[in-house]
Amino acid sequence: MDGSEARKTKIEVRNLTKRFGDLLVLDEISFNVGEGEFLSIVGPTGCGKTTFLNTLSKLIPSTAGDIFIDGEIADPKKHHLSFVFQEPTCMPWRTVRENVAYGMEVKHVPKVEMEKKLDQIMGMVGLSDCAGLYPNQISASMLQRIAVARAFAVNPDLLLMDEPYGQLDVKLRYYLEDELVRLWEHLKSTVIFVTHNIEEAVYISERILILSNKPAKIKAEVKVDLPRPRSLIDPRLVEIRKEVTELIRWW
Amino acid sequence: MVDIANEIKQQVQERRPLTLAMILTNRWFLYGVSMLAFFLAWDMAAVARVFSSGLPRPYEVVLQLWRMMFDPLAGKSLLGHIWASTQRILIGFTIASLVAVPLGLMMALNRYVNAIVKPLFDLLKPMPPLAWISIAILWFGIGETSKVFIIIIGTFVPCLLDAYNGVRLVEPELYDVIRMLGGNRRHEIIQVCFPAAFPAIFAGLQIALSIAWSCVLAAELVSARSGLGFIIILGMNLSRPAMVVGGMVVIALVAWTMSQLVSGLERFVCPWKREIDSR
Repeated sequence: MDGSEARKTKIEVRNLTKRFGDLLVLDEISFNVGEGEFLSIVGPTGCGKTTFLNTLSKLIPSTAGDIFIDGEIADPKKHHLSFVFQEPTCMPWRTVRENVAYGMEVKHVPKVEMEKKLDQIMGMVGLSDCAGLYPNQISASMLQRIAVARAFAVNPDLLLMDEPYGQLDVKLRYYLEDELVRLWEHLKSTVIFVTHNIEEAVYISERILILSNKPAKIKAEVKVDLPRPRSLIDPRLVEIRKEVTELIRWW
Repeated sequence: MVDIANEIKQQVQERRPLTLAMILTNRWFLYGVSMLAFFLAWDMAAVARVFSSGLPRPYEVVLQLWRMMFDPLAGKSLLGHIWASTQRILIGFTIASLVAVPLGLMMALNRYVNAIVKPLFDLLKPMPPLAWISIAILWFGIGETSKVFIIIIGTFVPCLLDAYNGVRLVEPELYDVIRMLGGNRRHEIIQVCFPAAFPAIFAGLQIALSIAWSCVLAAELVSARSGLGFIIILGMNLSRPAMVVGGMVVIALVAWTMSQLVSGLERFVCPWKREIDSR
């Protein structure tokens, strides 16, 4: 697998700009994402990463510019968009399995197909054992896995992730990152993953966009064409990590 | 020790020999001590005539209740009177909750409904329900209607308020999830607002139920030929404290039972509120 040029462009972001009154948060951001690409976006704290994702996902309207999926303006009603938020967002009144199924229910996926997909995804994220439990009976990391599973289950055109593992301890984070990569390799979704953890970004993604301080612009792009499974102590990975760290420096 | 999804759960159960200290600090033992002390103190106060003849001994109350089971008062046995009060509560409570809960939900979901209903509601809310008794009797006479009316007035407020607040306090991220996945307003209401509001609605029903008992009692004390309030007022007029205390005890028992039924219904409707059983 190499960069985005070799494959079809799936997502096209053109001149995306967001202003809150006089405050310019996003300044004419443009980039493309290839079909099935895993793209990470890193940037300093407070550079507007969350605003960026919320605008991308159409949760808040952009001031100018737009996002195109397969050449059409993105629309949550038409395209399959998925979002994994920083905080786990499960419905307390649905069991683990019902929570994962929720996106497919909204999209009216046929019952048989849905059950098959559920079994597959629940197995991949290791939730089969607690399928019948309610969210208040499981741990925070499992809640986040529900959100990840729910997001992948709808075969999204674009999957947006907003620092989903920011709150977890190191051991679990490594485990879940591997799990995420596994899911992505199997399901071939197009992913935009936002994080402030550089090591995480280098470890999981194929390409990294680095945002500047507010107003956010794309400052640089780094390709990570390392084979998988990757190792955190691989000298090439460490090299890229250093490169990204240098680029992101704002102090 | 089990390993679920790469997370380890450990459970430890300590085994200790049975000692006197353990028995003395046992929860159930202390419950027993507390109840026994209460009844002993009551009995001693009655025997010592602290309230002259105004306090019956506990066994006299039991005896009185037993007698009322078989000797009708004003044409009704004790069960008949219990049913008279319960029936009023069921009718009033059902009408109030069927109107107030949907209205509260609509107020939370639609700002126009809210703008129309809220000022009226805020105006009438601070008025204690019992203040309505006299006007209710003037309007509806001393029959069943005025009693049911008082109960409706009293239970309406908590039913409406809790349904309203239940929807207001939904986590906004859940709406984002639904909108992201392409859901519409209908999905938001049915999948998020309603289930999220259930626990608050049940809390409101519980409060409403206890208010309903106050209301029915007050209404019966003012004018009634049946019901537990009637037994209490009759006991007072006949100077039979055992009858008064008996009425009070029965009210407590029946009100507690109804509140348990509502809790049971809540556990049935909201199974996700159950905690995991650690044993």
